Amino acid sequence: MDLETVKQDLVSREFRAVVLAGFGNELQPLTGDYGDEPSPKALLPVANRPMIEYLLSWIEQSGIKDVLLICPAIHRPALYHHIHSDVSSSNLNVDLQTYDETIDSGVGTCELLRHFAHRVQEDFVLLSCDFIAPPSLPLSTLLNQFRADSGSNGSIATTCWYATNKPEKASSPDEWGPSAPPTSIVWDDASSTLLHIDTADDLDQNSEELELRMSLLYPKVRLSSNFQDSHVYICRHSILDALAQKQHLDSFREEFLPWLCKVQYQKLKRRKYGHILYPETYAQSSQTTALLHSTLLTLNAVDNNVLSPVSDNEGDVTASLKVGIVLHRADAGFAIRVHDLHSYVEVNRRSLAAANYALPTDPKNRALIDQKAQISADTIIGDSTKVSERTTIKKSIIGRHCIIGKTVKIVGCILLDHCVIEDGAKIDGSVLGKNTKIGSKAELTRCVTQAGYEVSAGDVVKNERLETSDWTAAAGMSENDDETGENESDA
Amino acid sequence: MASQAGGPKDKLVDDEEVLQAVVLADSFNKRFRPLTTRKPRCLLPICNAPLLDWTFESLALAGVQEVFVICRSHADLVKEAIKESKWSKPGSGMKIVPIMTSKETYSPGDAMRDIYTRGLVSSDFILVMGDLVSNIRIDEVVRVHKERRKTNKDAIMTMVVKESGAEHRTRARGDSSIFVIDSETSECLHYESVTGFPATKSAKIPREIFAEHPEVEIRNDLIDCSIDVCSVEVPSLFQDNFDYGDIRRDFVHGVLTSDLLMKSIHLYVAQEGYAARVQDTRSYDSISKDILSRWTFPLVPDDNHPSGHNYELRRGNRYIAKDGSVVLARTCKIGANTLIGPSSTISENAQVTSSVIGQNCIIGAGTIIDNAYIFDNTIIGSNCKIQRSIVGSGCSIKENTQITKGSLIGDGVTIGPDVALSPFERLSAKRPSLKHTPTTDDSEDEDSDLEGIERDQESIKGSIDLGKDSNALVWPNGPPDEEDDPDDVENYRNQRFMRLGDDVSDILSSDAGSETSEEGTDSSHVETDSQYDGRSVSALSDASAPSDIHTFSDNAEREFRVEVKQSLDRAFAEGHSVDNAAVELKTLRMASNVSLTRVREAVIAAIVERIPLVDSGAVQQRKEIASVIGRWGPLIDKIGGVDAVETVCLLQAHCATSSRMPLFGQILAALYQDDIVDEDDIRKWHSLPASKGEGRKPSPEADSLKKCWVIGSHMIKQFDEQESEDDNSEEEGVAPTSRNIRKEGERDNDSSDDEQMLRSRIVSQQHTSSQSGEEDDDDDVSSPPPTDPLSSSSSENSGEDQSGAAKDSTEGSSDDGSEGSV
Repeated sequence: MDLETVKQDLVSREFRAVVLAGFGNELQPLTGDYGDEPSPKALLPVANRPMIEYLLSWIEQSGIKDVLLICPAIHRPALYHHIHSDVSSSNLNVDLQTYDETIDSGVGTCELLRHFAHRVQEDFVLLSCDFIAPPSLPLSTLLNQFRADSGSNGSIATTCWYATNKPEKASSPDEWGPSAPPTSIVWDDASSTLLHIDTADDLDQNSEELELRMSLLYPKVRLSSNFQDSHVYICRHSILDALAQKQHLDSFREEFLPWLCKVQYQKLKRRKYGHILYPETYAQSSQTTALLHSTLLTLNAVDNNVLSPVSDNEGDVTASLKVGIVLHRADAGFAIRVHDLHSYVEVNRRSLAAANYALPTDPKNRALIDQKAQISADTIIGDSTKVSERTTIKKSIIGRHCIIGKTVKIVGCILLDHCVIEDGAKIDGSVLGKNTKIGSKAELTRCVTQAGYEVSAGDVVKNERLETSDWTAAAGMSENDDETGENESDA
Repeated sequence: MASQAGGPKDKLVDDEEVLQAVVLADSFNKRFRPLTTRKPRCLLPICNAPLLDWTFESLALAGVQEVFVICRSHADLVKEAIKESKWSKPGSGMKIVPIMTSKETYSPGDAMRDIYTRGLVSSDFILVMGDLVSNIRIDEVVRVHKERRKTNKDAIMTMVVKESGAEHRTRARGDSSIFVIDSETSECLHYESVTGFPATKSAKIPREIFAEHPEVEIRNDLIDCSIDVCSVEVPSLFQDNFDYGDIRRDFVHGVLTSDLLMKSIHLYVAQEGYAARVQDTRSYDSISKDILSRWTFPLVPDDNHPSGHNYELRRGNRYIAKDGSVVLARTCKIGANTLIGPSSTISENAQVTSSVIGQNCIIGAGTIIDNAYIFDNTIIGSNCKIQRSIVGSGCSIKENTQITKGSLIGDGVTIGPDVALSPFERLSAKRPSLKHTPTTDDSEDEDSDLEGIERDQESIKGSIDLGKDSNALVWPNGPPDEEDDPDDVENYRNQRFMRLGDDVSDILSSDAGSETSEEGTDSSHVETDSQYDGRSVSALSDASAPSDIHTFSDNAEREFRVEVKQSLDRAFAEGHSVDNAAVELKTLRMASNVSLTRVREAVIAAIVERIPLVDSGAVQQRKEIASVIGRWGPLIDKIGGVDAVETVCLLQAHCATSSRMPLFGQILAALYQDDIVDEDDIRKWHSLPASKGEGRKPSPEADSLKKCWVIGSHMIKQFDEQESEDDNSEEEGVAPTSRNIRKEGERDNDSSDDEQMLRSRIVSQQHTSSQSGEEDDDDDVSSPPPTDPLSSSSSENSGEDQSGAAKDSTEGSSDDGSEGSV
């Protein structure tokens, strides 16, 4: 063991993964506090597995060993516990760092990076904890593209965009909050270069038209509003230097990246930041690529070139400062960022497609599932969950340690751990935060509840976000519930 | 048979649909003048065959059976040419019907309305221009179009475009276009025309198209061949919308943006084949070369030559007429990519490279013809040099004549001997007499143009010598005095993008600056200010360096300067307020599209020249200066953006070349006194290497610059003394100092020196700070570090730990930086 670790240190690391785990404001009320206990977004389960697990194993498969995980200070205990528990099976070398932040005063991603820049000595991959990639899109593909580009023509970053998944109608109601507006991007297909990101500022300035500079219109570019940013950025280390220069930028995705795209083709920016972004070979005077990309500037060779009507002045290309792009199309597998309720429901729904429920083999768990319960195949039920007789469960994900009463009907739902559903309740298309309690004969249709919420017996609720307002009461109650639940299961 | 116009309805059987084409044999612009004063553009020869014949050949290739040729200018000639052409012979398989349209047809739109009223077309038809050279299988496009029409009745038009590249030589840079296409259906979603001047900086794509088409292609690499496959309703749409003029800019744009029409236009992107329009002299040049380089195969000179000439292809794309009538001297040199027409003679030691020589031409001994196009029956004397030019038919160029790049010599012109034309000269022959011109039905405007040129000949011609027997009229060159519509595609500067041999470097380079400076914010003030370093230095060098390339932008600037001077003279004379004068200057600046530096330069020059030179002693002179600067000095800062260092630089540059050189010190002192520049600015200016006149050849100007700098040194010395002593002792220096002036000017108001100083410093510090905020725009330009603690809060943002508040202030100042000028 010791020998191995020594060896690893001798080999210089190529990449470090920087994972940002935020509050998940868009996922409220699922990420709302449960009593005094926070519910970190990173630990929200997707198909009964914390979402950060997906990301970490994705990183691990690519061969990256070192992860810098940045989370709010109050999430630290939970995340620390998770990473060092058995649940997390990874062999990654996770460096857990925290920053002080409250939900209301968000710290920008750029600010975080600037703050932790000294911990990153090599090229890095900046990820958000909520990206779930399909097997068809391994991180190594992206790394390879970055390696190829940065080696051959001085690329400085590679991004990954995935096709927006059109959520099925009525799968999630509008009351759950607006879904993310599409972002328009412009890229060059031939060289897979990301050229322009339409930011909110642009939209503000001109909501009718999208303005594109002639100099970015390579002869032939594509424009689409069909893709979303995966928040996977493979960056040269020099990006951190540029970040240090651009103090006023706050968000990496919304501000810094669009700016970075502009550096590619705006001459003044190139001149100013070229040597920062690409110090090794970047000569101050070499504007060749910028000129190449500029459609307004003529290349003098054109006129002399009699035989061929097309000029090819492709030689002599210095650092392009290119921002690469990898597009992941919808037909190549399902990728998603779980950053709002809609995507959370969507990703869980998709994971069910592959599910094939079979009764647990483990006798202890087996005993908890009543013989007379009807559980369809496209369902996932966590360990130690009790399902009582004549209960129907379809197309749902049930967490661990839940207690489901008799003649309950659950269709198309996601129940997090420790939920209690009393007899005769009907739940349809809802997401229940952990420790949610549904009273008997209550009916819930397309609702989402905060951890510890209680629905009284016989209530009928539709299309609502249910949030606990009274902490202490709810917490006290649910603790009792837990106890009773355990008692019941014991019994 | 072909001549009976207006008889399109035929006995052709209905079930076999006839493929019809409409050729617009008029260009509706004047880009080829004066070559087109006596014949229409479509009859100009390219590679020794009239353009119209190339067009017919292209249509024949597509299997077109019936062609309507819409003629307007010189319609008789076109009609005659069609009658004579091989297409009118029996068995040609193509029926050509010339349609004479009225003189009131001013645009392609008018022609389309004419087509509608005459009811010429009966089914889907091909619409092309009379200057097309193409080998694209248009029938394939028609098939695709008809296929699409079966399912989608609203697809009214298919435009043929050729894939090339942004820098393709055949792509007109003055008049190209951006297409936004749905890649699945190849529907054209948005059309944007691109002009070279005013340079199209950005493409504006309406966001609403993304709603229905989430993924689109933006193409800036297509040659618009102006081949349109149109449905029958297209002419009627023109009829309904009487304001449609241009097919692209009005019709296509109108259809695509209309919410009511609900029609769609598609694109056919030709991957193979060749198609291009001879729409200007530049494309004339490139298409000639494309033909010679055989891109248009099978339409090449040695095979399928539209005029039926027979050429022999020799190694290196040299084409020599096959009938043995060409006389090539033993010592002549024929370079690659050259075509020599029948019965032409190339004499000893003549060199012909990359050129086209018409029929019956004689090239004299020792003459060099390089990249030039010589039409039929032209005689060129010995030892001439013709470069990158077009020489019309029947010309006579006498010996030792130099025709340099971009010149257009109309038919029948005689010039020389021993004449050197300047680049881009345009000549046409004088008309023998107005009565006898055979082309009496020339459209009115052309005649009036010509008459105007005849009338103004003396003034236009000036000192240009065209040789003793010359019959040539010189056409005016340079931008017209007033342009009807400077944003029109046909504006003078944009035309230059379409001109043969013009590399437009001046327009482009003046562009490049504004392009780079545009980054970040949109405020024009910020742009020019961030350019300050480079500009002020170049302003200095401009003043002295004799520019051998007298280019257009120089002209424009000179013109602008004159205008500023006039405007200021008016202001001076009529006693306008400074604000009004500033507004006028701003407008002028927008109109002429010049940088702020230029405006400032012009303003300073005008003000300095305004100061009367007084002989009666230094005191009187100082008074004059003080009164002029006091009255008009604030204008320097009012024109938008404050840059005192630049002001001093420009003042120095101007004084160095002006008779008011001795006044430099006094003017500077007056500016200082009026708080237009302050001490720091003078110091900063003084420390610039360019101010010292460094790096320039010894010349009177350099000496003057140096002198100015020395005066500045005196001044700074006095500042230093003033600071160290800080008492009211007066010294009488050799150079007039701020102090001396100050005393004089402030006799009336008794404010104390120090108070005034302090105030002026604070004010100017604020200038500095707001300015550096501007420069910051969205990037941190290294701004001059403020020395005054008053201003340090907002100007620097490179501090280690900047809190959100500081950031906000930086952003805020960059946002409204443009208004920040005091």
